[in-house]
Amino acid sequence: MTDRALDLLQGTLDVLVLRTLAWGPMHGYAVSRWIHDRTDGAIEIDDAALYKSLHRLEHSGAVDAEWGLSENNRRARYYKLTREGRRQLRSQESAWRRYAEAVSKVLAPA
Amino acid sequence: MTRKLFRLPWRTAQRIGEDVDDELRFHMAMRAEELQSRGLTPEAAIAEATRQFGDLEDARRYLQRMDRGTEAARRRRDYMGELKHDIGYALRKLRSAPAFTITALLTLALGIGATTAIFSVVHGVLMKPLPFPHPEQLVRIWSDNPEAGIRQSAVSPVDLDDWRAQRTAFSDIGGYWYQNGGSGVDMTGEGEPQRLSTSFVEPGFFPALGVQPQIGRLPREDEMHRGGPDRVTVLSYAFWRRQFGGSPSVIGRTLTLGGEPYEVLGVMPRSFAYPDDQVDLYIPYSTIPDDGIPRTRTNHVLDVVARLKPGFSIERGRAEMAAITRRLSEQYPEDKAWTGASVEPLRDVIVGKVRTGLLVLLGAAAFVLLLACANLASLLLARATTRERELAVRSALGAGRGRLVRQLLTESMVLALAGGALGVLLAIAGTRALVILGSTQLPRAAEISLDPAVLLFALALSMLTGLIFGLVPALRATSSDLQTALREGGRGSSGSRGQRMRAGLVVGEVAVAVILVVGAGLMTRSFLGLLKVDLGFRPDHVLVVNYSMGDAHQGTRAQMRGYYTAVLDRVRAVPGVVAVGATKALPFRGSGERNDFLPEGMVLGSSQEAPTAPYVYVSDGYFQALGVPVLAGREFARSDDDRAPFRLVVNEAFAKKYFPGRTAIGRTVTIGTEQIPIIGVVGDIRQESVEEPTEPTIYIHALQNMRSRANLVIRTRGEPLAMARAVQDAIWSVDRDQTITSIFTLQSAVGEAVARPRLLTTLLGLFGVLGLLIGGIGLYGVLAYFVTQRRREIGVRVALGADTARVQGMVVGHGLWLAAAGIVAGLIGAAMLTRFMRSVLYGVGATDPATFAGVAAVLLAVAFLASWIPARRAARVDPLIAMRAE
Repeated sequence: MTDRALDLLQGTLDVLVLRTLAWGPMHGYAVSRWIHDRTDGAIEIDDAALYKSLHRLEHSGAVDAEWGLSENNRRARYYKLTREGRRQLRSQESAWRRYAEAVSKVLAPA
Repeated sequence: MTRKLFRLPWRTAQRIGEDVDDELRFHMAMRAEELQSRGLTPEAAIAEATRQFGDLEDARRYLQRMDRGTEAARRRRDYMGELKHDIGYALRKLRSAPAFTITALLTLALGIGATTAIFSVVHGVLMKPLPFPHPEQLVRIWSDNPEAGIRQSAVSPVDLDDWRAQRTAFSDIGGYWYQNGGSGVDMTGEGEPQRLSTSFVEPGFFPALGVQPQIGRLPREDEMHRGGPDRVTVLSYAFWRRQFGGSPSVIGRTLTLGGEPYEVLGVMPRSFAYPDDQVDLYIPYSTIPDDGIPRTRTNHVLDVVARLKPGFSIERGRAEMAAITRRLSEQYPEDKAWTGASVEPLRDVIVGKVRTGLLVLLGAAAFVLLLACANLASLLLARATTRERELAVRSALGAGRGRLVRQLLTESMVLALAGGALGVLLAIAGTRALVILGSTQLPRAAEISLDPAVLLFALALSMLTGLIFGLVPALRATSSDLQTALREGGRGSSGSRGQRMRAGLVVGEVAVAVILVVGAGLMTRSFLGLLKVDLGFRPDHVLVVNYSMGDAHQGTRAQMRGYYTAVLDRVRAVPGVVAVGATKALPFRGSGERNDFLPEGMVLGSSQEAPTAPYVYVSDGYFQALGVPVLAGREFARSDDDRAPFRLVVNEAFAKKYFPGRTAIGRTVTIGTEQIPIIGVVGDIRQESVEEPTEPTIYIHALQNMRSRANLVIRTRGEPLAMARAVQDAIWSVDRDQTITSIFTLQSAVGEAVARPRLLTTLLGLFGVLGLLIGGIGLYGVLAYFVTQRRREIGVRVALGADTARVQGMVVGHGLWLAAAGIVAGLIGAAMLTRFMRSVLYGVGATDPATFAGVAAVLLAVAFLASWIPARRAARVDPLIAMRAE
């Protein structure tokens, strides 16, 4: 583990991507920026891993992909959550919360 | 669901690669711009973006692989969705046309059901392996006497010992003496005395078949030899269940058989039904004393089953048996003429007799199914024409041809599978009926069942059927110029082509129907011929009681004679009994014992063999009771018994063959060393079977040469079976312990003798009628449609003054023309196919002209009828309405 950023487990990345897309359809670059901005750069995501996650989620039916025009009029691949994706997000989110709480309890000064 | 009709085209692998690259290029460009805006030079920005991305090549490969999977899953999903949609649509369509659907389902159910039922029988009887290890190694062997023209004769036990000793190609050779209803022992001391059906077996029998007992053990070799501890028995599974409730404690028990104690050694498994499923016991053949069946080379009594050594061909076995029998014939004078042996696969022997019949039936059933297919194809073609507009609309909305064909095929598949499911239900009932109807005629009937193999067959058959009757209409319906169909407002632009294709189908249907009816016709003629055969005796009003004299009566000749005559006399005294006789070999149930003789005046050359004939043992009054005319002299009287001089009665065939043009009465026949005078000539009777002509036969008074087995032939005044009780009581009044093997009417024995051809005739007749019906409906359908299509033309003709007869003639003429084409094609097809039936036909050629002509006439008549109804409708067309309808 480096000082600069946290390495992310695959499942963690997936839940972050799902959460991001819950805001609305985005292309891959936008997802990357969004996560970077939201975490103030604390979580630096390897772009390769991000795209793998997006296509993996598409394969599992959690997201749908569609070509569209970006804000600067370029052809970009947009991803949006499917109903299945929302369901996955809900269940993983609550699992993550419980996990994070448990970890903070352990780490908190008694 | 509607979106499925407009779904996006599927992406190719190449397209996926391009998409991935486009996406990544966009990302790099965006990242580089971002970095540039923070002050990096363009080159540095690109380098940094690439660094930040990570392993680009690995990601590309991963994304492409993932996307291909996604695409395949989508394709599958789309396909299943469409299939679901098509099935739902097909169901709605079928429900909206109930008349069509019900006709189609019934036709299919009949065709698939009949074919599946027959197939289940064919599968159980012909295809399943015999229930023995390595059944392909098993053969049957017989002695042959080529000089006398005798093939496949039973084998002498003495010869058999030599065969076993000299064998090298066979791992074992086993003999057995078994006759259904003929070979048995009486069991006493286990409740009521019972006659048990017994197979008397030689040492090689069990090793050759290679089946181990379910419990207990088989007899050792030393337990199967004369003088050895051979009072042992092995039970059949069925008898063990019936008599001992399947209790294993039966092993080691002692049963009293024929008055002697036998130890039970083992019980055979259920699947072991050999020689047939009626066997109760297996007992060493060595227990039969010499005064029962003499153990000599001239006495051919045993059936023989043998197992070829692994890797040895049947030809090898034949060569060896030829060599052995030749050696024996040179060595022993009694074997001089028995110079050969027949070796045949056991399987062929068991199922050979029914193979042709079953395959003919399977063929006929398949033809019925083919007819059903043709009819449905024709119906679907007609429907497709009226649906052209619907298809055109869907095509205009973007459905491709493949998509439309798939939708139409789904419809036929749904129909075929539903029909198939109904067919399987029919087949269950049909198979059960076949097993019952054919119970006495079908070997291995117990192995017939609707097992997975048969169900798989039915499924495959249904799918094939759906494909056959669905594909042509589907391809045709989607090939026509659909745009035209739309523009013409759905009147159907391809009516004439569809009509031509349906006409072709009808010609084919008529042809297949002709083949079916010819088959049925030939079989019927053959069967009627069989029924008309003069049996030589009167089978009505005759009760037969089959029994074997108990051992208690077999002590001395006087004892046997006294018992035999007492039984005859007591039964004769029963009120309602007209005449009584007895024979060892009842017609169709036995064939006498074949032996040598020399007729008076015949001199044999040095290399010539004496002629042989079956000897049949009969009592006094036998011919009178059976209703056989005495042509010359007299039949046996009570006084011709063993205390009187030996005398013979012969049949007409014998008299004609050996004393042509002279009277046979008073002439002598040399049997052994004795010259025996003939005292009577009786009419020929069918002894072996209804089909086989009568052989020259010698009759001997039963009391001259006692046999323990007898069939009482009782002619009664009234219904014969009603006398059964009184007759039984009369026998028991002589000996309360006399077991009775069976009681039946002679009529039923005759009926059984023609049961196989009757069954075949019934079933082929049924298929013939089905063929006529389906063919007729097909023709009717096409003509009815023809009339509808030509309403306008007919209307014009009527308006122009054509009279009704002319209009009707046009329609009927069209129908008869189609039928005639089909009949010609069918007769040619039948002439080629019926030769496969030759072996099941009696007294009628496979291309019998009368049958062929008759069938052509019947088909024409049906065609006329099928054309007449639409023709009348045509004649009633009102020209005004017909023309306005356009």
